[in-house]
Amino acid sequence: MAINVDTVYKTVLLILNQQQRGYMTPDEFNRVATQVQLEIFESYFDDLNQQIRRPQNDTEYANRVKNLEENLQPFEKYINNTTSPGAITGTNPFFLNVRTYPADTPGPFSDLYKLGSIMYRNKTIGAFLQRNEITQLLLSPLTQPTTNFPIYLYEAGATATPLNPTISVFPTTINLPGDINVSYLAKPNDIQWNYDTGEFGQFLYNATSVNFQLSATEQTSVILKILLYAGVIVSDPTIIQVASTQIQQEEQNSKS
Amino acid sequence: MARPDGGLIQETNEQYYAGAQGFVSATPALGAGQQTFTGTFNTDLSLGGVNSWNPTDTNYALNNFKLYTSADDVTYAEYILPYAINDNVITITGTLPAATYVIIQMKALDGGSFGNRTALGQTVEDNYGGYSYTSLVDVINNFIVGYVGDGKLIPHVKRSDIMFHAKRGLQEFSYDTLKSIKSQELTIPPSLAVIIPQDYVNYVRISSIDILGVKRIVYPANNLTISPFSTPIQDQQGQPTQDNFSENLEGTSQTEARWRQADDALITGEFRSGNFANFFDYYDGSWGLGGYYGRRYGMEPQIAQINGWFNMNEREGRIAFSSNLKDRLIVLEYISDGLAYEEDTKIPKLAEEALYAHIIYSILSTRINVQEYIVQRFKKERSAKLRNAKIRLSNIKLDEITQVMRGKSKWIKH
Repeated sequence: MAINVDTVYKTVLLILNQQQRGYMTPDEFNRVATQVQLEIFESYFDDLNQQIRRPQNDTEYANRVKNLEENLQPFEKYINNTTSPGAITGTNPFFLNVRTYPADTPGPFSDLYKLGSIMYRNKTIGAFLQRNEITQLLLSPLTQPTTNFPIYLYEAGATATPLNPTISVFPTTINLPGDINVSYLAKPNDIQWNYDTGEFGQFLYNATSVNFQLSATEQTSVILKILLYAGVIVSDPTIIQVASTQIQQEEQNSKS
Repeated sequence: MARPDGGLIQETNEQYYAGAQGFVSATPALGAGQQTFTGTFNTDLSLGGVNSWNPTDTNYALNNFKLYTSADDVTYAEYILPYAINDNVITITGTLPAATYVIIQMKALDGGSFGNRTALGQTVEDNYGGYSYTSLVDVINNFIVGYVGDGKLIPHVKRSDIMFHAKRGLQEFSYDTLKSIKSQELTIPPSLAVIIPQDYVNYVRISSIDILGVKRIVYPANNLTISPFSTPIQDQQGQPTQDNFSENLEGTSQTEARWRQADDALITGEFRSGNFANFFDYYDGSWGLGGYYGRRYGMEPQIAQINGWFNMNEREGRIAFSSNLKDRLIVLEYISDGLAYEEDTKIPKLAEEALYAHIIYSILSTRINVQEYIVQRFKKERSAKLRNAKIRLSNIKLDEITQVMRGKSKWIKH
C-alpha cells in the first residue's frame, strides 16, 4: 500500500503554515519528497542487517526483520525475457538492458537498483563471485560450476553499451537469455505532485501524480523528514528542531 | 498403487517399472512448434545431438529414450520427425494430428513395450533402486535450507564451499563407509596383466571364478614378487645408460618375466606327481616303497594356496597375475571416489545425515571466530553419525547372523 502524495503534501503544508511559517512549492516538494523516499529506502538495508543480528520475536506485527522485509516488498521484482521482453540479451555474457543503445534511452531494465539473484531455468541459484575467485574455482576439479550449480560474475557493461551490466555465467554452456531469471530491487519512482491551476490561480491536485512507493507504515516518517528539509528551505529552526527530535525519537524506538 | 502426491516419489508406477509415460496430443491440433510434452522421469531426457530424433543421425544411439505415437493406442510406431528437447520438454517441430497417443519410452534391456520393442538400452534399469539414494545436488540444497541462514550457526556460506566439502565428504565416505558396488569381470590374457579401471581408487578384492561360478579369492603377492617401477639398462660398470634425449634407457623387467614363467607349485608346495619320487624313497637307511607323497615340511601357510596371486604394476598401470591364472575368469571388486561419473554422485540415504554432519563440521572448523567448543561438538557429531552410517551400511541382519551361528558347534579343521 503506497502513500498518497496528496495527503503528504497537504499535511506538510498544514504543519508548515501553522503560524504562517512559510510555504513549500510543488516543485520544491517533489524534489524533497524524492530525496526523502530514497533516504528511507536506502536506510532499510543497514537497518535489516542490524536487526538480523538481534534476537527476534515471533509476534505477528512486531517482528522487526519481518517488518523491514515487508517495507522492501514494493521494490522487489523477479523478471525474465517473457515478463519483460528484451530485458536480458546476449549469449553469455548476458546484458541487463538498463539503457537501449544506440539511442541511449531507458531500456526494459531501467529501474534496476540492486541485483538480487540470478536464476537458471527458474530453479537453481547461481552464486555471485568475483573474477579472482572464479579463476580459482575453475582450477579446482571439485568446484567446477555445473548447470546444477552455476556461478556468475556481475561486471561493467561493454564499450558499446556502457550502462548495461554484464552477467557472465559459468558453465558457458548456459547461453540462452530465455533461461535466465533475475531478482532485483527496483529504484523508487521520482515523486510528483502534479497539479492544475484553478480559477483563482490556486494549485489543484491532479490524479496523474506519482505516489510514494514506500509502505503506508512509513507515512509519519516521510512527513517528518520532509518537514525537516522544509525547515531548511523556509529557514525556520523551530521546524528543523521539532522534526529532527521527532525523527530521532522514532529511530531510537525502532532500533533499541 | 499410490500415485506421486507430493511425497519424495516423483514417478508413477508406469514410469518406474516400464520406463514409459503417455500423453494425448491436443484437440484441436496445435500449430507447428506448439505441441509440447514434458517428461517427468527421474532421469533427464537426453538426445545424442540436436538432430538425433532422426534414426540416421550419427548420435541417434546415444538417445536415452524413444518417442512413439499411435492413432488408436494399440499400434505404436516410432516418431521419427523433427522434435527438440529443452529441460525435459519435448517440442514437436511440426504438427501432430489431434488426439494422437504419444509415449516416451526410456531405453530398457527388453526394448520396452511399444512399437517393435527396439528401445534397447539400460536407462530404465539404471533407475531401479534409486530411491535408496539421494543425489549430491539434493544434499547440497537440503543443507543450505536446513543449516544455513540468519539465526543459525552458519549465517552465510558460498555454495562452492558447500560443494567442495560435500564432494570431499563423498570421496572420503566412498573409501571406507559406503558400499563397494564397483566390479569388473575380466579374463586374464596371456600377458597375465589387466589394465586398472578408469575410475579405480583401490581394490577391495580380486577373485577367480571357478566352473561352478564360485569366487576363489586371489591374494596379493606382497612378499613374493614385485613389479619394479623402473628398469634402467645398465652398462658393464652397472651405470644406467641414456638415450639421445639424456633420459635413462628402460628395459623389460626380468623380475616380471621370471614371475610369469614361475611354476607356482614350487612356491605353494602343491603336490605334483612329476616333481616327487612317489614310488621309491629312501627311508630308514634303505630304499623302499612309500615316497614323499603327502609330505610337506616347512610349509608357509600364507602362501600355501592355489587360487593365485596378483600384484600392482604401477609402472604400466596394470594388475599383474601369477601364471596359474592364465585364461581364468576373474572379478575385480574395487572402490572409486563417487565422483567419477554423474551417476556415481549419489549418497545412500543411510549415510545422508553423516554427510550433513561432515559438511557442517568442515565449514565450522575452517571458519574464523567459531568457538572451539562448537567445533568439537560437531566433530563428535560427525564421528557419531559416521559410525552410525557404517553400522547401517554393514547390512547386519539378525537372521543372517543366526544362520552363520548355527554352524558354531562344527569343528574348525585346519
